[in-house]
Amino acid sequence: MTITKATKPTRQSFSERMVEFGAIDPDFAVFESDIGYSTFTYLFGEKYPARYFNLGIAEIGTMAAAAGMANNGRTAIVSGYGVFLTMRALEVVRSFICYPNLNVKILSSHGGLTAAIDGTTHQATEDIAFMTTLPNMKVFCPCDERSTRAVFDLAMGTPGPVFTRLMRDSYFDLYDAQAAFRLGGSHVLREGRDITIVTYGDIVFQALEAADLLAKDGISAEVIDMYSIKPFDQAGLLQSLAKTGALLVAENHQARNGLGYELGVFCLKHRPVAFDHLGLEDKFGESGKYELVLDKYGLSARRIAERAKAVCQKRQPA
Amino acid sequence: MTISPTSASMADRIASLKGTAKRIRTQIIEMIFKAQSGHPGGSLSATDILAVLYFDQMRVDPRKPDWSDRDRFVLSKGHACPVWYATLALRGYFPLEELGTLRQLGSKLQGHPVKSKCPGVDATTGSLGVGFAQAVGLALDARLSGKDYKVYAVLGDGEIQEGIVWEAANTAARHGLDNLIIVIDQNGLQNDGFCRDIMAVGDTEQKFRAFGWQTARINGHRVEEILPALELARASKGRPYCIVAETIKGKGVSFMENIRGWHGKAPSAEQRNQAIKEIQETL
Repeated sequence: MTITKATKPTRQSFSERMVEFGAIDPDFAVFESDIGYSTFTYLFGEKYPARYFNLGIAEIGTMAAAAGMANNGRTAIVSGYGVFLTMRALEVVRSFICYPNLNVKILSSHGGLTAAIDGTTHQATEDIAFMTTLPNMKVFCPCDERSTRAVFDLAMGTPGPVFTRLMRDSYFDLYDAQAAFRLGGSHVLREGRDITIVTYGDIVFQALEAADLLAKDGISAEVIDMYSIKPFDQAGLLQSLAKTGALLVAENHQARNGLGYELGVFCLKHRPVAFDHLGLEDKFGESGKYELVLDKYGLSARRIAERAKAVCQKRQPA
Repeated sequence: MTISPTSASMADRIASLKGTAKRIRTQIIEMIFKAQSGHPGGSLSATDILAVLYFDQMRVDPRKPDWSDRDRFVLSKGHACPVWYATLALRGYFPLEELGTLRQLGSKLQGHPVKSKCPGVDATTGSLGVGFAQAVGLALDARLSGKDYKVYAVLGDGEIQEGIVWEAANTAARHGLDNLIIVIDQNGLQNDGFCRDIMAVGDTEQKFRAFGWQTARINGHRVEEILPALELARASKGRPYCIVAETIKGKGVSFMENIRGWHGKAPSAEQRNQAIKEIQETL
């Protein structure tokens, strides 16, 4: 695994794969609400204009129209920013897509604080909570180009609604062409003995850097990319915890009701371990440079390493 | 409906407002250039409207931004906040130097406007359509508390594709909110292209009229038209008022005018210099 500077954001990789997939599957349609040049779905619209519906600045109506088409059996992809898709259009997603279990795939950009500079109205920091709570919904958050392209295929190949969280800006690439991805899968990116750090999306890179910082202090951290958030890899998590006995979940999301809550409850039920989780502490984000905003809200490598040390201190001796 | 500047005072008012608009445009370019992020096109199209509102029409006191009798203003097309921030700073709500903090950590000037952070911001916006609905709520509240202030909102013409706009339009008409005045900055462009191509909404003025509003249509860059239209709207009774202002997205900067790509993009150093030069020389 080598980490290189990414050349494009995951929102772009997702849409590029969508264009390629248009030749593989001639049936699916794409719905957009006037941010196609931002989500890069315009690429699909250029190649397949008859299957591209830009319904204007009207997120609720766009989601409902996609649901209507999916009622007829056709797969519909709905593209937009997380704040509008998961909140403004939430009732449509819940009652008219998840409830009838329709094949609607949601391309949701500007996940978490990756939209740092745009400010809170554009930062989807509650999307994982809303989407994982809905019955029938599956939730992914890939961290780089390869995993994003793989997740696109998984979303299309998984029956029912699928939500994919994507990022505004480009960060790093780490997966090579051989890496395999599956619904309910995860990847151990770095092996360790003392603590398991579970994360997803952009925070993967902060966690890996945190593991480097921890190594300097003699702490061996295992880093897991939980790219499949719902369902998540229970067996993989238990295997890691059997080794480390400590868990820190770090996510670019509200600390409440995110993956941290999910895994915390899972551990209470199945394997109590020293535990903590990082996310927005009942706060909204704000405008600023991404790195500075991450650090302020506790999600930078430095802040993750600090918290991981504290979790290790709580760990029961083996 | 154009004012001929017959009296010296009217000519002075108009000339002064034109100068103010020029200064606002200059600050818009400077702040987006410095932040290397933000929305110039829709800021420049709304500039003349905000200049007339804040420097002539609105009853406000920058030293008392929370004065309970002030007129309220909601920038429903919140992404165009550089025009609002520049206007507020020039009007004296906060020092001009703070414009350089746009979109930076700890700044009053968030990427989209936030009421609790910036003096003069009467409603948080950034999710299209929702600002207008909040403006209707503010106007209802003025009624409830027996206040005579006006509520102004500026909307984009792409924004009115949102369903909530028409829910709010119904509410305002149903309650006869003649303390509510909206201006639609009809620049004809939205993020992905021309509004008429993405999702044409038809004749905006006729639609608002059908919803029970009083309406007017003006050139949104001619102070000689904006001023009397807003004066008439302010004096009008019985119904909410919608002014459809025909504008040009990116107005004042030749390479930005009517170009989709300048919806949300920052200029380079060279483009900034060119833009400032054009604003100073040609407008």
